[in-house]
Amino acid sequence: MYPAPAVKIFVIGAGQVGSTIVEALHGEHNLTVIDLDPGRLTPLAYRYDVATVEANGASRRALADAGVRDADLVIACTSRDEANLVAATFARIEAPRATTVIRTSNVEYIELWREGRLDVDFVVSSEIETANAITRVIRVPAAVQTDIFAEGQVQMVEYEVTELTNPDVLGKPLRECGLVPRDSRLVAIIRGDLMIIPRGDTVITSGDRLVVVGSPEAAQAWGDLLSPGEGVVEDVVVFGGGQVGVAIARQLLEQHIGVRLIEPDRERARRIAEDLPDARVYQATGLDPDFLERERIGQAQAAVFAMREDAKNHYAATLARVHGIDFTIAIIHDPIAREVYEHSGVDVTVNPRQVTAEEIVRFAHDPRTQQVAMIEDDRFEVLDITTSPTSEYVGLMLREMPIRGAVIGAIVRDGKAVFPHSDDVLQAGDRVIVFTESSRVADVERVL
Amino acid sequence: MTAGTTRRHPPRPRRLGVELRGAFGLIGTLTKVLSFAVLFPTALAIGYSEPFWPFLAAGAIMVLVGLGLERMGRGAPPIGFREGFFVVAVTWLAAATLGALPYLISGEPQLDRPVDAYFEAMSGFTTTGASVLTDIPALDHSMLMWRQFTQWLGGMGIIVLVLAVLPRLRVGGRQLLESEMPGPEVDDLADRIRSTAQRLWLLYVALTAVQALILAIFGWTGIDDRMTPFNAVAHAFTTLPTGGFSPEARSVESFAAASQWVIVIFMTLAGMNFALLYRLFVRRKARAASRDEEARLYLTILALMSVLLAVELWQKGFQHGEAAFRHGTFQVVSMMTTTGYASTDFIIWPAFALMILVGVMLVGGSAGSTGGAIKVVRHLLIGKVLRRELRQTLHPEVVIPIRLNGAVVDERTLRAIAAFVLLYIGLFAAGAGLIALDSAFEGPPISAFDAIAATATTLGNVGPGLGFAGPMGSFEPFSDFSTIVMIALMWLGRLEIVPVIVLLTRGYWRV
Repeated sequence: MYPAPAVKIFVIGAGQVGSTIVEALHGEHNLTVIDLDPGRLTPLAYRYDVATVEANGASRRALADAGVRDADLVIACTSRDEANLVAATFARIEAPRATTVIRTSNVEYIELWREGRLDVDFVVSSEIETANAITRVIRVPAAVQTDIFAEGQVQMVEYEVTELTNPDVLGKPLRECGLVPRDSRLVAIIRGDLMIIPRGDTVITSGDRLVVVGSPEAAQAWGDLLSPGEGVVEDVVVFGGGQVGVAIARQLLEQHIGVRLIEPDRERARRIAEDLPDARVYQATGLDPDFLERERIGQAQAAVFAMREDAKNHYAATLARVHGIDFTIAIIHDPIAREVYEHSGVDVTVNPRQVTAEEIVRFAHDPRTQQVAMIEDDRFEVLDITTSPTSEYVGLMLREMPIRGAVIGAIVRDGKAVFPHSDDVLQAGDRVIVFTESSRVADVERVL
Repeated sequence: MTAGTTRRHPPRPRRLGVELRGAFGLIGTLTKVLSFAVLFPTALAIGYSEPFWPFLAAGAIMVLVGLGLERMGRGAPPIGFREGFFVVAVTWLAAATLGALPYLISGEPQLDRPVDAYFEAMSGFTTTGASVLTDIPALDHSMLMWRQFTQWLGGMGIIVLVLAVLPRLRVGGRQLLESEMPGPEVDDLADRIRSTAQRLWLLYVALTAVQALILAIFGWTGIDDRMTPFNAVAHAFTTLPTGGFSPEARSVESFAAASQWVIVIFMTLAGMNFALLYRLFVRRKARAASRDEEARLYLTILALMSVLLAVELWQKGFQHGEAAFRHGTFQVVSMMTTTGYASTDFIIWPAFALMILVGVMLVGGSAGSTGGAIKVVRHLLIGKVLRRELRQTLHPEVVIPIRLNGAVVDERTLRAIAAFVLLYIGLFAAGAGLIALDSAFEGPPISAFDAIAATATTLGNVGPGLGFAGPMGSFEPFSDFSTIVMIALMWLGRLEIVPVIVLLTRGYWRV
């Protein structure tokens, strides 16, 4: 009835960000990927149904030849800020009506864009998105992942259930657990490759991942329910003072969370100390047990590993755990590192490129979709979407809707968030926060 | 022809690393211009029917010297960074010479020896206020006003020196003042000095005029019957440059309490950064000025020490009520801003009171003021460095930048400040040692504390010392050797030590 909007998307740059975007958007949309390196394009062309062009995205002629003229959306996501900016500028000339999105880590560009003096529609920064993601996780320490929707009224949190989880919850049918926080909904249980839409008789077992949607208080209260006794984090150690590390430290400080930052390079450490007067900056490797002991690093409530090498982060995280830190968050550069980390007990991993891709992908969605969160490497998504007045679901009670691998976690009606029960009725113009499998995103957007 | 190489050219003669001709040329120009200052006492002398020729003769001599030096520098390449030190150091010596000539030419019996005349003049141009006179009112009006005027001129020179020249020569931490200067950033040194001078001199002249006017009104309205217009101008001339000369026999003791409070206010202003005062009065940025860390510390120390001294005086029965607070505040402000007036003869005060006074002498005014000594901002930063050292003892790896008013102070500046304070202490010890040593041979008997006070007061450009050199006394009993030592201390202290010491290094003169 409502055909999926046929969007023609140009992705400039086929690195990790570009590939993640392609992975998330292929199939639903008409994609063209441009990169100079055929070694990156070939696997994409082989795996997905996308057009690839081996050319310089920062060349106006190359863009024109590739047919950018017809594009609805141009995403410039190479690792080079300048190339992205130039590509977006040329795209604007060739296709004035296309939406342009650039990836940048240059604070100057971001500020210019905020002042409206950069002719680009959206600017996405890996560093800021990563820092946001990590700050959200730190504020809900028990979470694997969390995201905020509807101007902070709704929070999605993914929790991991382990043997250490509150035994009152484990192994029992949900309806017998009783004390489920109000204003929240357990929208899905991810068990290995399965996605379970929970019912009263569903049993939570160790190894499950729970996706909860609710008011921020309620969503966070799930953390207390699952693992009681984990308090508010007020003291974080950040290992590595690169751009990501500094962005994380800055975000945490803005939220009044104490930060100690460790950076081995003398000159960089000095600059960071100058830029962040409220942080305590150490010029040290963070791999020296004497140092960790002397500075009582083990007493910090959380540690973020944001060094440039996965192996170093891994080693440092393990050492920090030995010294007593029990909440570790690591930045990963190579997607493979994730398994290593999770295997060795790092609590949360954040891939800056994926976070960036996630932020960029939402521009490709139906314009009614305001935000997207990806869960489990984009196996699932949470959408923030406004229902169309002509939707076939309008007027139906939630329990009457045919289940199509999607759950409505929250409804924002007249600007206020409602956490619906199965007998609530969907109205036209409602903003809904929907959990769904990624492959069904286009279906969900079509029916709502 | 023999094998090997023959030297065609004789080795080049070793060249001096300093362009002395150009430097002397600039000194000549400055001397020539400064010499016209004698026209003011000349006019005054004619008005009072006093001999005016000593001033004209002194002016004429120095104009000729200036022209001669200027001629020497004609055609010399332009001077740069390195010559700046030499120019600054020698200009003050030349100014003191101009100051001393009228004393000598007039044949004034109290100042007829060149050493004494030069001491008095150096004390004037360095705005110190120490005097070898024993009977001040015996001098002519014009001669008394020339003393006052040398301090006022010295203050003008200091404003330019500390806010435009020394920062360029990177003396004692240039970063402290460079960003403070209001006005457009000019690259050319001469332009920068000119624009700085124009703005700040106007403020300096205006503040002097306001003070003279207030004091004169006190005189006219009978609030203070000792405050003649002559006295009003004479004291305004030596308050703003934190000088301290007074044409009165017993400093400002005989003035009414109201006049003394007015002088306290203007001394306090004179001890503040002129760039800050400019922002406060001209740009009307009171908020920015009130947040200045140095100004806050400066006012805090003044207030604390004043109260402490007042309480001590009251408790020991030296003064009571308003008088205790007035004399306590007056003396602390006068010593700390390095002005050197006395509202009462404080040498009879108890030991603790004198310790406070000698202590604040070492604190000094703010950077960018006409005050001397170590200066509040250096104490502030040294304190911050010490606090950092203590923290780093516990946490060896922690990186702590030192900030002043929110901006990071670079490590070079901090090193320069530490070096300055060490030099200051070293000179202080050397000066006190020499004066004490001299007293063992030919000088007058002097107590160790008085030798220390005499050194602190001259090196800090304060004025009065203790013992016979107290506020109502005179430096006359010192031997010539001690007098010369103190002349050197005044000169060094005023130029922030480094430009003079640099001249004594071999590296300065080599290419």
